[in-house]
Amino acid sequence: MKEVIVHPERCVGCMQCMAACATAHSRSGNLLSAICEIPIPKSRVHVAPGLYDEGFPNRCRHCDPAPCELACLPGAISRDRRTATVLIDPDRCINCASCAMACPFGVIRYHETCAAPAGKTVAVKCDNCVQRQAQGKIPACVEICKTGALTFEEKSEALRRRTKEMAMRVSIGADQREIPGAEGFVLLNALKRSRKEVGASEL
Amino acid sequence: MRHVIIGNGVAGVHAAETIRHLDPQASITIIAGEIFPPYCRPMISLVLEGSVQPKQLPIRAPDFYSRLDIEPMTGTRVSEIDVDNREVRTSRNDRVAYDRLLIASGAEPRPLNVPGTELRNIFFMRSEGHVNGMIEALENARHVLILGGGLVGFKAAYGFLHRGVEVTMLIKSAYPLSMQVDPEAGGMVLDELVRHGLHVRVGVEVTAFEGIASVERALLSDGSTLPCDIAVIGKGVFPATSFIPTDRIHKDLGLLVNEHLETDVPDVFAAGDVAEYFDVARDRRWVNAIWPVAVEQGRIAGFNMAGRPVTYLGSLGRNVIRVFDLDVLSAGVVEPPEEDGCEVMVHRDLNRRFYRKLVFRQDRLVGMVLVNRIEQGGVLVSLIQQQRPILKDKERLLNPRFNVAQLTL
Repeated sequence: MKEVIVHPERCVGCMQCMAACATAHSRSGNLLSAICEIPIPKSRVHVAPGLYDEGFPNRCRHCDPAPCELACLPGAISRDRRTATVLIDPDRCINCASCAMACPFGVIRYHETCAAPAGKTVAVKCDNCVQRQAQGKIPACVEICKTGALTFEEKSEALRRRTKEMAMRVSIGADQREIPGAEGFVLLNALKRSRKEVGASEL
Repeated sequence: MRHVIIGNGVAGVHAAETIRHLDPQASITIIAGEIFPPYCRPMISLVLEGSVQPKQLPIRAPDFYSRLDIEPMTGTRVSEIDVDNREVRTSRNDRVAYDRLLIASGAEPRPLNVPGTELRNIFFMRSEGHVNGMIEALENARHVLILGGGLVGFKAAYGFLHRGVEVTMLIKSAYPLSMQVDPEAGGMVLDELVRHGLHVRVGVEVTAFEGIASVERALLSDGSTLPCDIAVIGKGVFPATSFIPTDRIHKDLGLLVNEHLETDVPDVFAAGDVAEYFDVARDRRWVNAIWPVAVEQGRIAGFNMAGRPVTYLGSLGRNVIRVFDLDVLSAGVVEPPEEDGCEVMVHRDLNRRFYRKLVFRQDRLVGMVLVNRIEQGGVLVSLIQQQRPILKDKERLLNPRFNVAQLTL
């Protein structure tokens, strides 16, 4: 089964995934109309600054067993086995914030959405774009990501690719193939880190 | 294997589900005093408030018992446990034999020993039945008196304020929720309640209730009288252990259990509000009578009863409440005594009504209070639960922009 995999070292913090996520969960599904909608659509993936201001797309891990599901008082949180997705039912949610206390990743937010009854604040988080997946599309954050920080693939495949990239870098003369182009991210993150460490305000 | 579970609260329900998951053949019996199907106790205050309908309370489908092949004995109380003959005796004179027993009998409200508590419309707030009684009494009520500023008293007050009646709260300490939050956050909660019409009397207690049939007034320790049509007693709870042979199954405040939630008697387990185990933040034995701890303990007791040894790392007191426009989330030790030598960090932005307090014991986070912007509360709670050392820059945890990405070091 394919799932969204985060490669934090490739995130440049451009936040395009946030715009795509908010659009995908809007009424119109179109960025230009979405920004005029009430309630204003909000992203469910949160690009947060790390210790050295490096980008980090923080999204629901769809844990199993899920701490939020065990903590939910009205039983609004459940697991969709087919897509390995933890879902919140906005009709059953009572906005008690028990899940805020349970989520070790801090990915749940509380606001109105077009999927909830009008005027009702509910707990909101990533749903793996189950509706888009049902239409044969991939999750919106992955579709928009330009740097490969978010991919949609089999976990084993992602691990294999990762191992190969590492091996290629250190294997002398294994192949005449070009070195995979991840070095730019390393440089960018090193720059951000050094800037933070020397306390400089500008790059 | 015959499993018997005393109590159909959330600990008992999770234990039964876990046992059934691991052992499809086991016989499981649940003995419960309440006749309601398993329901969500923390939500009863929302029924009082009117934001939740009673039909939303059940936590499992009506066919819960039959689907999991559990034999329910509801409306039945346990009168005795015979640990030598591995047998439970009930109020209906039944004898139920067990191979493994779980005591998940929960807690009972602490009674108030003053004259007049037998009058009508004086309630505890512990069960669905209590709240139904309050709503019925509301029809002709104008003044509500709440005894106690703990979580229950506070939730009752909040519910009644939403119903538009006059509410007076009597509290012992200077601010409500003194077990959950520190004075500063408690003051913010108090201000918010008072702003919405709550009357608060500090340091006074009820000495008697008076009335004909129903309660009409309360006499207070300062000599004054307060008219009231409804009174709610929120003086805390204590573990329900009246039927336990405590010469065999030892107890402190709650029943003492080991890391497998087993009592001193082999094959007798305890979980939830009735059990006492190690508190990871306080670093000592403690009863944390809260819903999420009952869920954890029910599951872990279930694993161990079904023969899979699972260790419980310890419980943690934690709560989250929304008070009108304030969100308050707290966990662990919030007001450490001086001699503990804890390091306390505070960040406040009172214009934005943002307050964050963190308590560290050496390099471990052991407590916190958040007022507003509580979304990252779970990250901090999990740091306390994991007892994960924070080796440098503890201050970053105080920043409103703190998030899980800043933990990868």
